Amino acid sequence: MELQAVLMAAGGGSRMMDLTYNTRKPLLPVGNKPLIWYPLNLLERVGFEEVIVITTKEVQKMISTDPKMKLDVKMKLDIVCIQEDADMGTADALRHIQQKIKTDILVVSCDLITDAALHEVVDLFRAHNATLSMLMSKAHEFTETVPGQKGKKKTGEQRDFVGVDGTGKRLLFMANEADLDKGLVIRKSIMRKLPRMHIKTGLVDAHLYCLKKSVVDFLADNKSVSSIRGELVPYLVRKQFSKSMTSPNVNDEADQKLKKKDGNANLEIQILSRDEVLLQLTRERSCWNDHRGDMSEAYHGVRLRCYVHIMDEGMCYRVNTLAAYIEANRLAPKLFDEPAVHPSAAISVRCLIGADSIIGASCQISDKASIKRSMIGASTTVREKVKVTNSIIMHGVTIEEGCNIQGSVICSNTVIGRGADIKYCLVGSAQRIEPEGEHTTLSECDWT
Amino acid sequence: MSSRGGKQKKGNVTSEQEEEEQPLQAVLVADSFNRRFFPISKDQPRALLPLGNVAMIDYTLEFLTSTGVQETFVFCCWMSNKIKDHLLKSKWCRPTSPNVVHIITSDLYRSLGDVLRDVDAKNLVRNDFILVYGDVVSNIDVSQALQEHRHRRKVDKNISVMTMVFKESSPGHKSRCEEDDVIVAMDSKSKRFSMGTDEFEIRHDLLDCHISICSPQVAELFTDNFDYQTRNDFVRGILVNEEILGNQIHLYVTQDGYGARVSNLQMYDSVSSDMVRRWVYPLTPEANFTDQQGQGCTHSRHNVYRGAEVSLGHGSQMEENVLIGRDTSIGANCHISNSVIGNNCTIGDNVVLDRAHMWNNVHISSNVEIHQSVVCDGAVVKEAVHLNKQCVLAYNVVIGPNLSLPDGTVVSMHHPEEEEEDDDDEFLSDDQEVGHSKDKTRQKAFNPAEVGPEGKGYIWKASMNDTEDEELAQCLWGLVLNPDPESDSESEASEESQDRTFQLEVLGTLQRGLEENIVCDNLVLEINSLKYAYNITLKEVMQILTRVVLEYPFQQQGTQLTTLQYTGSLLPLLKTWSPVFKNYIKRAQDHLDCLSAVEELFLEQDTHQTAMVKVLMKMYQLEILEEEAILKWFSTGATNDKSRQLRKNQGKQRMSLQRKESEEDESSEEGE
Repeated sequence: MELQAVLMAAGGGSRMMDLTYNTRKPLLPVGNKPLIWYPLNLLERVGFEEVIVITTKEVQKMISTDPKMKLDVKMKLDIVCIQEDADMGTADALRHIQQKIKTDILVVSCDLITDAALHEVVDLFRAHNATLSMLMSKAHEFTETVPGQKGKKKTGEQRDFVGVDGTGKRLLFMANEADLDKGLVIRKSIMRKLPRMHIKTGLVDAHLYCLKKSVVDFLADNKSVSSIRGELVPYLVRKQFSKSMTSPNVNDEADQKLKKKDGNANLEIQILSRDEVLLQLTRERSCWNDHRGDMSEAYHGVRLRCYVHIMDEGMCYRVNTLAAYIEANRLAPKLFDEPAVHPSAAISVRCLIGADSIIGASCQISDKASIKRSMIGASTTVREKVKVTNSIIMHGVTIEEGCNIQGSVICSNTVIGRGADIKYCLVGSAQRIEPEGEHTTLSECDWT
Repeated sequence: MSSRGGKQKKGNVTSEQEEEEQPLQAVLVADSFNRRFFPISKDQPRALLPLGNVAMIDYTLEFLTSTGVQETFVFCCWMSNKIKDHLLKSKWCRPTSPNVVHIITSDLYRSLGDVLRDVDAKNLVRNDFILVYGDVVSNIDVSQALQEHRHRRKVDKNISVMTMVFKESSPGHKSRCEEDDVIVAMDSKSKRFSMGTDEFEIRHDLLDCHISICSPQVAELFTDNFDYQTRNDFVRGILVNEEILGNQIHLYVTQDGYGARVSNLQMYDSVSSDMVRRWVYPLTPEANFTDQQGQGCTHSRHNVYRGAEVSLGHGSQMEENVLIGRDTSIGANCHISNSVIGNNCTIGDNVVLDRAHMWNNVHISSNVEIHQSVVCDGAVVKEAVHLNKQCVLAYNVVIGPNLSLPDGTVVSMHHPEEEEEDDDDEFLSDDQEVGHSKDKTRQKAFNPAEVGPEGKGYIWKASMNDTEDEELAQCLWGLVLNPDPESDSESEASEESQDRTFQLEVLGTLQRGLEENIVCDNLVLEINSLKYAYNITLKEVMQILTRVVLEYPFQQQGTQLTTLQYTGSLLPLLKTWSPVFKNYIKRAQDHLDCLSAVEELFLEQDTHQTAMVKVLMKMYQLEILEEEAILKWFSTGATNDKSRQLRKNQGKQRMSLQRKESEEDESSEEGE
């Protein structure tokens, strides 16, 4: 086994609390499948047979009991539960399962929906014997109107600056706009080694990482790192060019002993992925080099290397905001050629269902209903003369006669009264919307 | 070029067409406006210094002509007469020259900015022009860059004001000038200098060729901004004001071709050797592009060039990359490699030359060894002289015999001090004769120890002037800048040093307090403000304070104090500063922290451990420390040695003094 897959599915979805209040993020329906199914499917497609899933008790229970949440995967799932209130970061979670990790790992986040060719990332990892390789993609503009939001809100998030080398593969630099109070500072020593650096912004990190096993061991020793994206990755990227990693002819044994004495320093040496002797020899004897322009050895003797694959095209979404969730729902059907209408759904002959809509299992759709560009969850009842456009209806919703729903998200088990007119709304779960009501641009999330 | 008839036939000739038919113009600045080549350039302007036996300005003019420039304005200032004479004699001023050269001289130019302002004032340029210095050696075909520049100007009217020509060359390449190390942020698609867009490229592998294609606005912009002195000022100004004025600067990056500016001797050395190695083809030594009579030479294997009438003695070897000018004679058993030798030189027997640059009429006697040095016109090197690396013998200097010049020696016939006296009128006075007569009158004796018994010349010292700026000016060979050290954990280091500076500040504060009798309250105030300035926790403040106070006697009277002297000087101090301590030591934890700081210090100063009892006693008496705290600390601190502690526990209820005595035993034992 070359890589072990780890799926991080314990996140709470704090950036879209409206949706995740009742349904945990991994279980949010996207195209009538729980969100977690997408990364699992991604892994299954490339041939993984076993996945370690890190999640919470609640999610595990739901997956094993609720038929709606059934994960349609053939892989062996090794579900590890962590306590929800422990406030564990992704790196903490990796530390938690350190015992299970025997090889290099592929870490995936549960909110990733992508059609990326995973082998690109893994190939970078293999080809350069990298310590870290990751996936990024150009950020997408979300075109759909987001319910509960007036006008187009500019995403307030700060830009990430990512520096890659001339080939666009080697990851050299990473910084968030928030940290750049004095402008972009790049070490000249890096520029001397790799004189061309492309600085890119407007990239999304797909939160998909290939990591060496030694990194997990490093995490086990270094308890202060709690998040992969926030701390570990920037640390590794920075470490590439720090002295201890590049110093030639490291007297490994002696050095290690020396560092062991030094309380903090021994943590660093562990992460140093030592190239195997044969590899080292090959590199010395071959004329291959990763760079041109100077006479130094391949990689300038840098032993810790980070790479990134940046997708030029294809889709790559992280479903962590409401806007992304809606966008993902719109695009999910295009990913798979499954029948849009579930065979068990009872659909009247005289209703109109657009080709870009998905109807879940055991739905009831009555006469003269019209459904366009929408997703209807399982066991939902849609009565006569209902018009649904551009909306997401989750499970078990009842929509009474003559309703008009447009651009909205209706969470599960809600009942919408007769003749209600709902435009660009977010309706929480198990709500009752009064008949004949008219609602525009609001979040109807009465949590109490 | 279409004929006139064709033009008339078409009738509606667009202005652009007309523009293109206008002759391409260039502005050549034959002055560097700095003194990097002093003292060599005291006798000859930089543009006329020979490189591969051809004056540098000829390379620049040849480059301009080959790119299709039809009209060149040469601006001279320093020693303009010499440049003018040179140009009038050269092929550029013959009637057949495709490139019409206008020479404009003025002693008032003090920077590139002045030159361009004059260009604007005289209204010399009508269209895009090429701006170069007189010391640029290049064979880059800029017509492509010119085309791009014109296209950009056509597409969006007059937004692009300048296109700078860069050559790709990786860091550390020898044709890169260390002082001119550029890092460029550019938009890879539009080839524009920029940082603002979503995606940009930071490049350190570019070499600034100092060739720029300018729009006519450049001259106007220099006039508008009278504070622009150099091109760097201009570029910075444009980039800063890009959003306001809307002007942009673009780059043209070439992968092949050669382009470099001879900005110091290091560059002179590299460009000269590149020239001999034929990197600047078709500008090669044997090409005789200046079309001078008798300049021709033959090219043979290993890049050995010989001019006419060169005689080579028996057993002499010209290894490789050697250029020898006409009428030069070389003695027997010489060993010459990577060198350029000018016209009419004589070289004795058994001479070793490596990376030597010898100009015209140089006389080298036998048994001389020269490494990587420049020997100017008319210099005489007597027997058995050894020139180490980076030596410079300026015009007409005589050296030797039997002397070895250390690395980096600069010898000139001009006295270094004379230069300073001339300083004021140096730019203004065109009349060199005045200067010459002056220094003849007060000729100083040559120092035979420096230049040899028969030597003539004064040693110029690189670090003659104390200001750094001047030092740079003196440094002929250029600087070698060390890259930033790759520090591992800068943040940690800085944190540590913060503690250290805080400690020093506290020490300073207390010292001043003692000298000026400042009230303790004010001391507390100062320490508090320091605490915020250095972002130090309260606990650390207290520990550092304790340490500073206890070390104070050592600080003042040296570490050789006896214990008695130490306590004698410390105890009054403790009394004076007890209010300061009391301010910081309030809670029970503070007491323990203070005690551990005391303990730590006395563990370090193990010769003075006996003093600890007294210190603790005094602190107890001054009510800085409470009894319980001392007792508690004592009981916890001694856990490493239980038996001893048990023994001492018997006296636990006794006076604190005795307790501290046993205390001290314990700590002294720890110290071992």
